[in-house]
Amino acid sequence: MDKTILSIENLKKFWCSESKLAVDISQLNINLGERIAILGPSGSGKSSFLKLIANDLRPSQGVIFFHGKNLAQWTARDLSHHRAVLPQSAAMNLELPVSLIVSLGRVSSIDQTQKNSITQECLRLSNASHLTNASYQILSGGERARVQMARVFAQLWDVKDALLLLDEPFAALDPYLQIALLKNLNQFATERRITVMAVLHDVNQALQFFDRGLFIKSGQLLVDASLDDISKHAFEELYGNQFLEFITDNKHRFLIAQ
Amino acid sequence: MSILGLLMCFIGAIFIGPIPIPLDAWQESAILWDIRVPRALLAILVGAGLGLAGAIAQAFFRNPLADPALLGVSSGAALAVALSIVTQTWLEMMLSDYFEVSTLHVLRSYAIPLAAFLGALTSCYILLFISRKISFASVANLLLCGIAFNAFSSALVGVCIYLSDDEQLRDFMFWTLGSVASANQQSLFWVGAVLIGVVALIYPLYQSINALSLGEDIAHHLGINLKKLQVRMILCIALLCGVSVACCGMIGFISLVAPQMVRMMVGSDQRYVMIFSMFLGGLLLLVADTLARTVALPAEMPVGIFTSLIGAPYFLYLVKKRAAAFHG
Repeated sequence: MDKTILSIENLKKFWCSESKLAVDISQLNINLGERIAILGPSGSGKSSFLKLIANDLRPSQGVIFFHGKNLAQWTARDLSHHRAVLPQSAAMNLELPVSLIVSLGRVSSIDQTQKNSITQECLRLSNASHLTNASYQILSGGERARVQMARVFAQLWDVKDALLLLDEPFAALDPYLQIALLKNLNQFATERRITVMAVLHDVNQALQFFDRGLFIKSGQLLVDASLDDISKHAFEELYGNQFLEFITDNKHRFLIAQ
Repeated sequence: MSILGLLMCFIGAIFIGPIPIPLDAWQESAILWDIRVPRALLAILVGAGLGLAGAIAQAFFRNPLADPALLGVSSGAALAVALSIVTQTWLEMMLSDYFEVSTLHVLRSYAIPLAAFLGALTSCYILLFISRKISFASVANLLLCGIAFNAFSSALVGVCIYLSDDEQLRDFMFWTLGSVASANQQSLFWVGAVLIGVVALIYPLYQSINALSLGEDIAHHLGINLKKLQVRMILCIALLCGVSVACCGMIGFISLVAPQMVRMMVGSDQRYVMIFSMFLGGLLLLVADTLARTVALPAEMPVGIFTSLIGAPYFLYLVKKRAAAFHG
């Protein structure tokens, strides 16, 4: 049997009072090396769910176990050696050079050598080598996303069996870069047996690059299955509109919203 | 280079003044050694402390316009000093039951520095509490809270003034105007000791402070113990502002302008911002004090007024520049 990296029991998160239930998931196990796409309409609780796993939010009820230990008991430093997070957007008031931002990915790393070469390599992986000496403040949304991605790569550079949490990482990128980065991410994760959990808006990116789909609607886990096994009908139910389904000759499936 | 510049200004400053120092017998000049050197040294140390406090505060609130004086940390410290002056007789009466007269005397000499530090610390914690609810990364929020906080402390200082007698009133004037004229060995020792202590406490953390610039969430993801870091930063700001208010009263804008100018020159990497803000802060206050005691000869302006006169318009300029950067 596969090794479990993350398990969730009776997880509940309320806003303000018990009337506003943001997340309500009774049981979930994530195995090492899985590639998980979290899908759902806007405001369905996907980001809150990810924040709970990232330890940014504390659950109102229930427990999240990470590597067999209650997430609430991990120290920030230990946790940073085992999981990285790429949040939706990162605004910054202070002007830091790109190379410094990326190298800050390794601020808590045990091995502090080779920082510069790792920084360079990570910038290359996220197609941002040309931004090395730029100032973050003048970058476009898509360029910032790539720099933040490189920072995450730097954090997990020498880590095995880590967990990587992404919240709509590619929203600000053009289609070519989205695919290029997903390929690099896939390779990076495979080499290090990294478990990836990503909140996505693009159904087809999920179908192309991820193994397992978690459908979240109104904070509830609607579907949890291998993406290949999830029917068009389930997608339609999740988003509440019609999809056209195409299957290419090499068995790739595409869904187009109508 | 910055050390050289500071040294040259220092030498310049101690030879400038109403009473000329004979160049052939400067070693024996009492005015030089007993008055001008301590004063210039105090100006440098306090300026350096304020510059560092500003650099830490800007990183803490992730806003390049954050300034301990503007946010009301200094006025909080001044308020605590004012309170301690007004309640001194009453406090001594209360405490005389528990302490010997000699202990009381020692307590009295530490009352003002202690009050200044506690006042600064309390203000810092209140600001931290507010910034948890209302993000200070937004300039508008920061300024509005600063205005409210400053107005509140000035009102309370006003109450203290209303309740005070003539002699206490003169004390207040000193603390609200700010001056480095009271330099002596004791004040030099305290400011120097606090400055060295704070640098030892905060400078090794420059990389964590950089990570904090990325945002609290990201710093947490990167393995930074946020609570510990923030408490340390607050403690440092409070120590620096407290000791400077205790020795020199309120001196505005050095803590804003020095780190701002450094950021323009070397960027926002805290490794450099903290060090150069100290140098520049020391330099600015030294120059300001030298000007303050010479422009209106034979009278002397309090340096706090002088820094505000120059600093306030500069601050407006910075706000305008930032607003322009956001809107087009």
